[in-house]
Amino acid sequence: MIATWYGIVSLMLIIYVVLDGRNFGAGMLHWFVAKTPEQRRQVVAAIGPLWTWHEVWLVGFGGTLLAVFPRLMASAFAGYYLALFLILWGLILRGISLEVAGHINDRLWQGYWDFIFMFSNFLLAILFGAAAGNLARGVPLDAHGEFSMAFFTSFSVRGNVGLLDWYTVSVAIFAAVLLAAHGATYLTLKTQGLVHNRSTRAAKVLWAAVAPLFIVISVESWLVRPDLLGRAIYNPFWWLGLLIAAVSSMTLISGLSTRREMRAFLSSNFLIVGLLTTGGAAIFPVMLYSTLSPANSLTAYAVASSPSALRLAFIWWPVGFALAITYFVFISRRYAGKVSAKQDNQGFY
Amino acid sequence: MNLSDPAFWSRLQFGFTLTYHYLFPQLTMGLAWFLVYWKWRALWTGNEKYNQAARFWAKIFGLNFAVGVVTGIPMEFQFGTNWADFSRYAGGVIGQTLGMEGMFAFFLESAFIGALIWGEKRLGQRYHFLAAVAVAVGSWLSAYFILVTNAFMQHPVGYQIDADRLLGIGSLSAYLLNPWAWVQFAHNQMAALVTGSFVVAGLGAFYTLRRVHLTQAQLYLRAGTFAGLIASVLVAFPTGDQQAKMVGRHQPVTLAAMEGKFVGGPIAGVAVIGQPNLEARRLDNPIEVPGALSFLAYGTFQSYVHGLEEYPKDLWPDNIELLYYSFHLMITLGTLFIILMAYATFQNWRGRLRSTTWLLWVLMLAFPYPYIANTLGWMTAELGRQPWLIYGLFRTHDGYSKVVSSGNTVFTLIGFTGLYFVLGLLFLSLAGREIARGPDLEVPASLQEKEALV
Repeated sequence: MIATWYGIVSLMLIIYVVLDGRNFGAGMLHWFVAKTPEQRRQVVAAIGPLWTWHEVWLVGFGGTLLAVFPRLMASAFAGYYLALFLILWGLILRGISLEVAGHINDRLWQGYWDFIFMFSNFLLAILFGAAAGNLARGVPLDAHGEFSMAFFTSFSVRGNVGLLDWYTVSVAIFAAVLLAAHGATYLTLKTQGLVHNRSTRAAKVLWAAVAPLFIVISVESWLVRPDLLGRAIYNPFWWLGLLIAAVSSMTLISGLSTRREMRAFLSSNFLIVGLLTTGGAAIFPVMLYSTLSPANSLTAYAVASSPSALRLAFIWWPVGFALAITYFVFISRRYAGKVSAKQDNQGFY
Repeated sequence: MNLSDPAFWSRLQFGFTLTYHYLFPQLTMGLAWFLVYWKWRALWTGNEKYNQAARFWAKIFGLNFAVGVVTGIPMEFQFGTNWADFSRYAGGVIGQTLGMEGMFAFFLESAFIGALIWGEKRLGQRYHFLAAVAVAVGSWLSAYFILVTNAFMQHPVGYQIDADRLLGIGSLSAYLLNPWAWVQFAHNQMAALVTGSFVVAGLGAFYTLRRVHLTQAQLYLRAGTFAGLIASVLVAFPTGDQQAKMVGRHQPVTLAAMEGKFVGGPIAGVAVIGQPNLEARRLDNPIEVPGALSFLAYGTFQSYVHGLEEYPKDLWPDNIELLYYSFHLMITLGTLFIILMAYATFQNWRGRLRSTTWLLWVLMLAFPYPYIANTLGWMTAELGRQPWLIYGLFRTHDGYSKVVSSGNTVFTLIGFTGLYFVLGLLFLSLAGREIARGPDLEVPASLQEKEALV
């Protein structure tokens, strides 16, 4: 049961990354693929109606995590204190800059908020990437299962580590490039004209950069946590993740080269699902690895709620998830196709 | 209150970010039903003025909603960042409703908010109406789940203490149907409707006084004053009355502190005026209605009301003065709301509201007060719960994150203060811009095209 909950919580986080990742990517790139305020409104229209729907998956993830792994949430959130608040502030800036830019039809106003939007999305991609790196590398958990981590210590990956070191920074860069590629693929699907053409080019360049970076961080991960691979090869989900990633890379390449935009975008989603599944399966059952002493590590079994709480969550969670899928179908049908600044706006101009 | 105590800073940060956050959802929850009403009238009568009203308020709504979302996410995160020991202890219980809030309420709300604000042209009128309903239902559902969570902290039911001495759920139905939650939900939602009504009526009064957008202003005045009267009455009776009785039954020491009662006894009065004096343990300059508190809290004038002196000091709420004033000012404002809205509705029924200039001025200037009353109500609930985080089970001082230093919390508190100041300026200036521009924009050209095609 606890393994199932680990899977469910990971699934919610993966869905969040896939859904909001396209906004991070499109948000980072919009400064470069859309040059005029009018072109940028096209990008905003591709993100605008759905960003809150994407962002609440993070809230759903947080609530579920608290219900089923309360001790993990307590240790991790308190330990990552400053990094989490940077993420929160980034999310505030991201949402607000997107909402307010369209309110005043003025070059200076829109230029300012478009820049903030680009900057906050970039910051978020980097921070989420660094967070993923921290999960893989481990944190300085003490014998009570608590930690308090500095931003950086000696940039070493062992012992009293900080949030940033050579490994987590590489994962952060990889995440930013990956999400930018994902966002470019999304913009290719949703936009027209110049923005579309620039996004298509950006998608090809960025995806071409993802491949070597992936090899780099794979090798780095093996150096940082040599213990993981030995266990992972016995986990069927690790193989499943690799399979999904491999197949979707093929379809992604074919989608990009034959200009089948929907195929490319779906592949991009599944490629991220595959990569995150591989990562999540590789670290299981440890949810927080201790760099001080492996005995301090927190496993899913040690941080789970009582069986009564887990059983109860099994009643409501599937119902809520089924409803969410229903909304998802509705949304995908309603918002299918290219956006037009004329049809998709908040009515301010 | 010890300034070097990390728990103090975590409380201050949670209190500040929550108070600020709740300025926005209360309008969302109040305004949502006005949007539903206008979309429904538009479908029913085919009169475009209702659509115009819905379209205009949807812009204010969207801006308000966005600030509500971005300021809401830090609330959930703070359970882990600043209240780690509380999350460890009670996560198996409170996490259930926080998870449900995400899965059942936020998903519904956020999936359709885009459709409501951006989607009229894509969706068509019928779906657009349904989107308004979905957003309204979602926002009220989320209130229910969060109030169940709060009710558990006020009056814990349905839990069990598991083998590892942490809390688990004993009975999900008892937890979800906590009587405290129902009363608090009814009271809180009516209070949100008061805010929505005052904002709508206030803007109607503003336009009427300036002699602009008169057709729209008339709609806002009529709907705002009528809904405002109903909600103002319901917020006091029966919901507020029941809430006070609930406090009297389950938190008698809180009731004593709310009323500044140091010595218990029968025929206990309600102080209309008076200042609690903790050093002398009495109410200074009191003007009391004798017997009123006994009657209101327990049903007869003879009922015994407990005084603070009967309890050890470490069970007293730790900020009695602020608690006392929050409660009394909330009651005073609530009473004024009923009088104002009753008179405005009466004048509107006689057809004289538009010509009663002084009343329009009062309505226009009254809109901030429901925000203040809502805030005071939450201060009463949360200050009254102290010194407990979960009443009778778990003390506030045991709940904060031991690994987070005061220095870190002060830093993030400073960050929130700056960021929220900017958010407030943005919200006020942009909402002010939309209000100045007004609802009389022509129907967007693209919408006309679409209708011509159909």
